[in-house]
Amino acid sequence: MDINFSKEDLAFRDELREWLANDYPKHVKDKMDKGEHLTRQDMVDYHKALSAKGWMGYNWPVEYGGTGWSATQLYLFNKEFGMAGCPPLLAFGVSMVAPVIWTFGNEEQKKRFLPDILDFNTWWCQGYSEPGSGSDLASLKTKAVKDGDHYVVNGSKTWTTLAQNADWIFLLVRTDSSGKKQEGISFLLVDMKTPGIEVKPIITIDGDHEVNSVFFTDVKVPVENLVGEEGKGWTYAKFLLAHERFGIAAVGASMRALNQLKEVVSELNNSDLDKKVAEMEIAISALEMTELRLLSDLENGGHPGAESSILKIKGTEIQQGLTELFVEAAGEYALMYPGAGGYGSNDKPSGPEHAAVSLERFLNFRKTSIYGGSNEIQKNIISKFVLGV
Amino acid sequence: MNLSYTEEQVMLREQIQKFCETEYDFYKREEVVKSEDDFDANAWSLFAEQGWLSMPFSEESGGFGFGPVELSILFEEFGKSLVIEPYLSNVVLAGSVLDKSNFEGKVELIENICSGSMHVSLAYAEAAHSYEYLKPDTNVSDSKLNGTKTLVLNGKNASKLIVSCVMNEELSLVLVDTTADGVSFNTFRTIDEKTCAEFTFENVSIQDSDIIASGDEAKNLLTETINLATLCISAEAVGCMVSCYNKTVQYTKEREQFDQPISNFQVLQHRMVDMFIDSELAKSLLFKAMLEVDADSEDKFKHVSALKAHVGKFGKLSAQNAVQLHGGMGVSEEMMIGHYLKKMVAIDAMFGNADFHLKSFSK
Repeated sequence: MDINFSKEDLAFRDELREWLANDYPKHVKDKMDKGEHLTRQDMVDYHKALSAKGWMGYNWPVEYGGTGWSATQLYLFNKEFGMAGCPPLLAFGVSMVAPVIWTFGNEEQKKRFLPDILDFNTWWCQGYSEPGSGSDLASLKTKAVKDGDHYVVNGSKTWTTLAQNADWIFLLVRTDSSGKKQEGISFLLVDMKTPGIEVKPIITIDGDHEVNSVFFTDVKVPVENLVGEEGKGWTYAKFLLAHERFGIAAVGASMRALNQLKEVVSELNNSDLDKKVAEMEIAISALEMTELRLLSDLENGGHPGAESSILKIKGTEIQQGLTELFVEAAGEYALMYPGAGGYGSNDKPSGPEHAAVSLERFLNFRKTSIYGGSNEIQKNIISKFVLGV
Repeated sequence: MNLSYTEEQVMLREQIQKFCETEYDFYKREEVVKSEDDFDANAWSLFAEQGWLSMPFSEESGGFGFGPVELSILFEEFGKSLVIEPYLSNVVLAGSVLDKSNFEGKVELIENICSGSMHVSLAYAEAAHSYEYLKPDTNVSDSKLNGTKTLVLNGKNASKLIVSCVMNEELSLVLVDTTADGVSFNTFRTIDEKTCAEFTFENVSIQDSDIIASGDEAKNLLTETINLATLCISAEAVGCMVSCYNKTVQYTKEREQFDQPISNFQVLQHRMVDMFIDSELAKSLLFKAMLEVDADSEDKFKHVSALKAHVGKFGKLSAQNAVQLHGGMGVSEEMMIGHYLKKMVAIDAMFGNADFHLKSFSK
């Protein structure tokens, strides 16, 4: 047993730190450090900087232009970037649709879509959830009817993250309603500029415009935009969700938040809060070791399965717990949300700086236990596959 | 980085598992509890034969030089089967103090512990100093030992005690024969069915040759030993937590109500998932703590505290859930499941409870 990273891994970590010190776009860093919102252009700049370094395909195989990093390298990448306070990488293109395309798509689709994802020339969004289909995703109703050389799509998607910025959307649609609900689902790639698509903002309780409703009215999608086989979309969707779970523990980001919290709390002289912070620190240590155990298992040829749901459940509980402690630390300044300039404003009201963003984060992070398969769904997964009940 | 156990470590675990399954089931344990000695002489000889009693001692003292990882394996397995044999008191507490000391007579004493022929206990606790072991009231002056030590594990079987006391205004550890003049004791049963004793010393004479360590050496020995023992019982707690959820899953699959196994009910499933998650997190903290202790790192105390705080809180919670999901069976003395709860209470109470270790962790 050896808890230390190899020389090669440590050299790799140094390379990551070097990039973060020298090449992490400064205007993005400044905003992130102050807890301000990023614009579309900020996000593009950040992703393009990673592309330039050749790290955009951080979890891709070498043959498609990815890094081919080991599980340990991926872990270090996530941790170092999290600890540096970087924005989480947009998953929709690079980690979600891309693996589906290279695994189930044809050569033409690989050539057409993958390079633009690597260079961040296209911003993807995810067309999964519907007003009537959340955790029971397979009940989705958005319909695609084949008509000659295209599909005609009608229906609506919801909670579509940053659809307002997106160039493309990957869609789960129903192409057949006759059999079991899991059968008859297909996976389509759709240009957001296609006539008949309408994006409407949903403002969340933190005042942010992060998610949207997307409506489809007689949207014509060329048949060559179907991935794999018609009716096999559910298989691809499940494959994609397995990829989504990677990095969800967010250990690095939580450690950063913890360190900031400790600084804030150290000035408050509040022993009740000190105790909660200590419990949180232990929880993060336990989460990190759990991730390392799974990683070690993976590198030794094991296949950790549903155990990785622990990372989702605990990772998100910790992220939420940290935001709650910041609110407690803000004391009566928790009253000051939203900013003086109104929803989405970066104007700071009176009171300490940490208090100004605490409520917004607390409210925003409620999403973490809901998305990516709600934590209750994760418990069902563990129950079925680990406990066998 | 590699967090896999070595082949030897896997074999050690299998060996201990085999003993627990074939020779130490719950009925056997009950016999031991009811016996006069409160330990099983046959099992103890077997431990000696298998080399388990020599495991952690340095090779100079006649041991195998195994570290905290092997000890954790042993305690995890003992925890699963609620083994009550006096391993902690003899090997970990008394044995470690001796092994790491410069005491002249240590090799002979350790040999006796390894062969199982003598029981030695560490008398570290006093009623007035809960969890603070470095400033005892028990003292030696004019070569006479006076004071009272409580919660001496396996005290009634011990021929020798290592007593923490103040001598010449500094902490000292002295060896006392339990049959010496001025030594008296009462025995008690602990909540987890072990035996412990309260010893009173009245003008017990102490020679220079009885002094195991003094001053900083004594402080270090005691602190290091208590830390190792805390790791061991925390590993035991991890074993208990694993058994609690395994046995509860098993039971809910068999128990039928409303014409179906109660494991079909989601509210019970999610509670069992919580038990599983908490035990996995406990395992993770155990990995961290045992590797830090093994590396003798600066942070080793901190990480043992993290582990102990976690198992103190969530170990009890797991056992309470196990009792709840077993229904009436959970509160029956003759069923094993309720005994895990007692064990978790005992473990939380020893060497600093969850609150104590949370404070130590954040220092």
